[in-house]
Amino acid sequence: MRMSLELEKRILHRAVSKAKRLGKPFSVAIVDDRGWLVALHRMDGAPAPTAEIARDKAWTAAAFRVPTTEVGRFGDPRQPGFGLHPHDWNDRLSTLPGGLPIEVEGEVIGAVGVSGGTAEEDLAICRAVLQEVGSRS
Amino acid sequence: MKELTLDMALRMLEAAERWAREVAGYPCSIAVVDRSGALVAVHRMDGAAMATTDIAIEKAFTAVAWGMSTFLGSRWLDPRNVGQRIGDHAFGMIGRGKGRLCLIPGGIPVTDEEGEVIGGIGCSGIPAGLEGISDTAVSQAGIVALYEESR
Repeated sequence: MRMSLELEKRILHRAVSKAKRLGKPFSVAIVDDRGWLVALHRMDGAPAPTAEIARDKAWTAAAFRVPTTEVGRFGDPRQPGFGLHPHDWNDRLSTLPGGLPIEVEGEVIGAVGVSGGTAEEDLAICRAVLQEVGSRS
Repeated sequence: MKELTLDMALRMLEAAERWAREVAGYPCSIAVVDRSGALVAVHRMDGAAMATTDIAIEKAFTAVAWGMSTFLGSRWLDPRNVGQRIGDHAFGMIGRGKGRLCLIPGGIPVTDEEGEVIGGIGCSGIPAGLEGISDTAVSQAGIVALYEESR
């Protein structure tokens, strides 16, 4: 299974309807398995920077193939790999909650990034997206 | 002034994608920005090169930044338009605007009934040199859909 524009539109439709139930405007970004942007929707009223933050989260989740929050452990001084900094990696690295890889049949086909609400709200929209594609992660 | 909403952006993208697929026959990326140049929506069609997404966003941004189509802006870089004196040309524009300005045809500003710029649309991915088929034509298809809807 690969990312396609049809699938992305379905994903974004699901994400936006979930966001409307939460009653806040969000930005939702979808990237492919290499972390490159394929679709992004910024809802009316969502601040402009949310678009770029959502894209950063999606990039991070796709590039590392783990949720963005898990990337934070690379910055732990007790762990190997300490020193990973947002200014590495094309300024895109984000360890904020709200970016999850989209895994289908054991393969990461892309990632979703959400920005605009609290950590819990951003994650809730990510999870709705994963449900839509039947992803387990 | 009318705000460019996500719904309006998606209507434009839908029509532009249909034109690219059914008339032009090439996959491309199309982006819509609001009147501050901030991204509202972008779609990369299946098969379009990954670099096209950012270029489409830059074209839409540039159309808003100057309030004119990037097709006209691209003429500034045409060597035939370079004058006799230093400063007669716009090669210095390359890389300006934090690298976001893109003087390649394919970006068009979106205006409201009063002629105020409310946003921009940009397309990237259509090869150059085709008769009647271009990035600009795809963007125009998106604009037409918006105007016909609001008539």
